[in-house]
Amino acid sequence: MAQLPQLADQRILRPAETALALNLISRMDFLRLKAIARLHARGLPADVTWDDLLQEAFTRVIGGSRRKPAGVNMVAFLAGVMRSLRHEHWRRAQGGPAAPETLRIDHERDLSRRSELRDRGADLEHSLLAQEQLEAIDRLFADDRIVRGILAGLGEGHSPRRIRATLKISKTDYDSARKRLRRTLLKEGLTCAQN
Amino acid sequence: MRAKLISAAPEQTLDRVLDALAEVLIDASDEEIIAAAQELGMNPMMKGSAAFIGLRMPAMAELADFFATHQGSEAVLELQSTPKLRRWKRTEIGERKH
Repeated sequence: MAQLPQLADQRILRPAETALALNLISRMDFLRLKAIARLHARGLPADVTWDDLLQEAFTRVIGGSRRKPAGVNMVAFLAGVMRSLRHEHWRRAQGGPAAPETLRIDHERDLSRRSELRDRGADLEHSLLAQEQLEAIDRLFADDRIVRGILAGLGEGHSPRRIRATLKISKTDYDSARKRLRRTLLKEGLTCAQN
Repeated sequence: MRAKLISAAPEQTLDRVLDALAEVLIDASDEEIIAAAQELGMNPMMKGSAAFIGLRMPAMAELADFFATHQGSEAVLELQSTPKLRRWKRTEIGERKH
């Protein structure tokens, strides 16, 4: 009897591809998510790539450990999952508690000693990587004073209204700057560079 | 407000910046994505576009991928030998017909 060909080595679908095949996401949404994944991967160590973040986010959704609430846009939801994956990474790296999805095998961990077990090296690495990325983002808009001002305001957690007031710009100017910001981020996100 | 992204707590600043920038990208329209890709010399509407490098798209499965049997092979051969549909043809005066 003729045997079926071995497909496992040739046609392994990764979570992102599965999501596309299931019509959970469109091709354009993939590109949005690629750009968002590259953004969220900024400041993470080199061994955690944007592709890791994206595939893990899809895995959580397809696997059911993250359920999209009704009425929430899938791209926005996956962006939120990637955001929490980023935080989860640093929490683990700094010796924090495991993420809820992680199966805990050590049930006798003494959480009162958590601060003694904190990885100070990871704290320093996180700070250095974060500062490096802030400077890199700032350089992307070296010639755009308004966008850099908006970024500074966003970094301080200011609202768009407060940013406009501080920069003394109109809503139209703010929206135009936001479009320029988006175009540059899209181009950064769609390049073929690995990370 | 500082003029530059310099922070005493860069981790928190970066988190805020990235969260805000992700919101900016979520709002990107298809037209903006296509325009950005085209500025990079890519055409995301094209199959195999460089825009999708790093995102492996599932290849279209073929019959022969699933059936290596004699019957399956014959079915593939029969499909491949089916004449192509006749194309639109223009007459000398430019009228199209089947």
